[in-house]
Amino acid sequence: MTQPEGQLFDLGYQHYDGPREGRMRARKAVFADGFKTTLGLGRGASAKILPMLLFAAAMAPAVVLALIASLTDGLLDVPGHSIYYQIVSIVLLIFAAIIAPELLCPDRRNGVISLYLVRPLSITDYLAARWLAFFAITLLLVYSGQIVLLAGLILSAADPMEYMQDNWLDIPRILAAGFLLAAFITTLPLAVSAFTDRRAIATVVVIGLFIISAASAGILTSCDENHNRSRSERCEPLTGDAAKWFVLIDVGGVPTSVNRMIFNAEDDGQRAQLTAELPRIVPIGWYVILTGGLAFTLWWRYQRITV
Amino acid sequence: MEAKALTKRYGQTIALESVDFQVQEGITGLLGPNGAGKSTAIKLFLGLLRPTSGSAEVLGERPYESLEVRARLGYMPEHDCLPTATTASEFLTHMVQVSGIPPSQARTRSADILRHVGLEEERYRPIGQYSTGMKQRVKLAQSLAHDPVVVLLDEPTAGLDPSGREEMLRLIRRTGHEFGISIILSSHLMGDVESTCDRIIVLEGGHVTEEGAVAQFTRETETLLIDVDGNREELITALANRGINAVIDGVSLAVQLENEEQYDAIRDSLVETGARLRRLSPRRHQLTDIFRNPQR
Repeated sequence: MTQPEGQLFDLGYQHYDGPREGRMRARKAVFADGFKTTLGLGRGASAKILPMLLFAAAMAPAVVLALIASLTDGLLDVPGHSIYYQIVSIVLLIFAAIIAPELLCPDRRNGVISLYLVRPLSITDYLAARWLAFFAITLLLVYSGQIVLLAGLILSAADPMEYMQDNWLDIPRILAAGFLLAAFITTLPLAVSAFTDRRAIATVVVIGLFIISAASAGILTSCDENHNRSRSERCEPLTGDAAKWFVLIDVGGVPTSVNRMIFNAEDDGQRAQLTAELPRIVPIGWYVILTGGLAFTLWWRYQRITV
Repeated sequence: MEAKALTKRYGQTIALESVDFQVQEGITGLLGPNGAGKSTAIKLFLGLLRPTSGSAEVLGERPYESLEVRARLGYMPEHDCLPTATTASEFLTHMVQVSGIPPSQARTRSADILRHVGLEEERYRPIGQYSTGMKQRVKLAQSLAHDPVVVLLDEPTAGLDPSGREEMLRLIRRTGHEFGISIILSSHLMGDVESTCDRIIVLEGGHVTEEGAVAQFTRETETLLIDVDGNREELITALANRGINAVIDGVSLAVQLENEEQYDAIRDSLVETGARLRRLSPRRHQLTDIFRNPQR
């Protein structure tokens, strides 16, 4: 018979003597939690399906465009980086409308926010960490697509080195436009989420806002059918000269207007042409006011939260 | 923890007015009717509110000015504060990190504290599947997991059945007396406070009306309570024949003690009537007396 070699003791409660990293650790923890929540990590399989689908949807246009470029050996004029951002912004808007509220609404609905606020973390820290978590993923998403597209365009060029020399400016443009697109797409749904603790309501409001604002801008800038014009001439909008200002109503069009300006891209679309008639500072200023205003609204709303 | 001339006003409403008190080691009960200022005091000590004037200090710092001191505070709110889809282990590990503890140590702390509150087996189940008692234990665990110096518990037995309530009070007593963590227990249940706390602070209308050791408020009175099985009326008569006035007080007979000889008279009356004695003890003051008789 073997003799027992050890014994188990219950040491009881042990005080913690290790490092305490304070506010910075708290910020990192909220950021990491937001990152995991967005991707559905650490939760059931169903929580991961939607982020994966949306990720695939965001990557698909880049892959398709890159494939077309490589299969046609650069003979076909494949839409470039600016167009990719315009296409992917629709997917990102849906992605943000569905997932971003998950970062704020449940904490208020479940009351977890009261536990955050009594820890070494200010409400601004909490919001910044949540915002950054979603922003980082959105940025990762848009840059990944652009990298795939860029690689496709370079490899399909007759002379890849020459292509890179001719188009090196695309890289800072990709970085700048992606940054602004991700910032807008992160801020809007989070600001809406600050006003309801129900995720579904936030999602509906954000998507509704895009649809209604796009439809309103569409109507206000639509062509006057009674106005005679030649085929090559831009149609005369119903609202006349004011139409170019009504373009700004389209919330979803705000980052894409700035995107077009960054890439200096031309667009034959009615609204794009109207935007081009505005002084360049207007779309940029409108972007700054809207994004900054939404960020302030989010912060202001959370300053008034009582627990 | 110390309140110095602590005042909090909400517009014209005064929640606390120039309140002074100190919270010592051990378990301190914060008592008072609704609107007395208990919640306001807790929120001031947690840094959730700023005082209108005066100060609320914890470990010499003001939590509404210094975020760092909050790493040494624990809070168990009365209301729901738990996510439903997350496991207790995951949730606690996260909250410990939010209190400033690195991830590797956070996991160990989380496992340890869940064992202390009796949730070792269930720690990998989503919190949404827990009973009310288990949720209350998770709430307590999150308030302790980062090893705070002081923990503020707001109605910790709310919604619990008698056995769950006793279990929670046992955990609180262990935390206060064995773990060496000071506790402030806010409750409207006098029984909970009486059986758990070492000291009490009574707030009414934004002022401290009573303060001191619980024993001081539950000391013996000069009234003797006699519980018997049967022959109660005969016992009253027998006592009256010996010059003792006994009055019915619930299931007991109450006798106002005037001298030691009365014990002999009670014994003789019990023998004479054949009433079977179940209990003979002095009545003790109860914490509820504070509110029944404020001028006590």
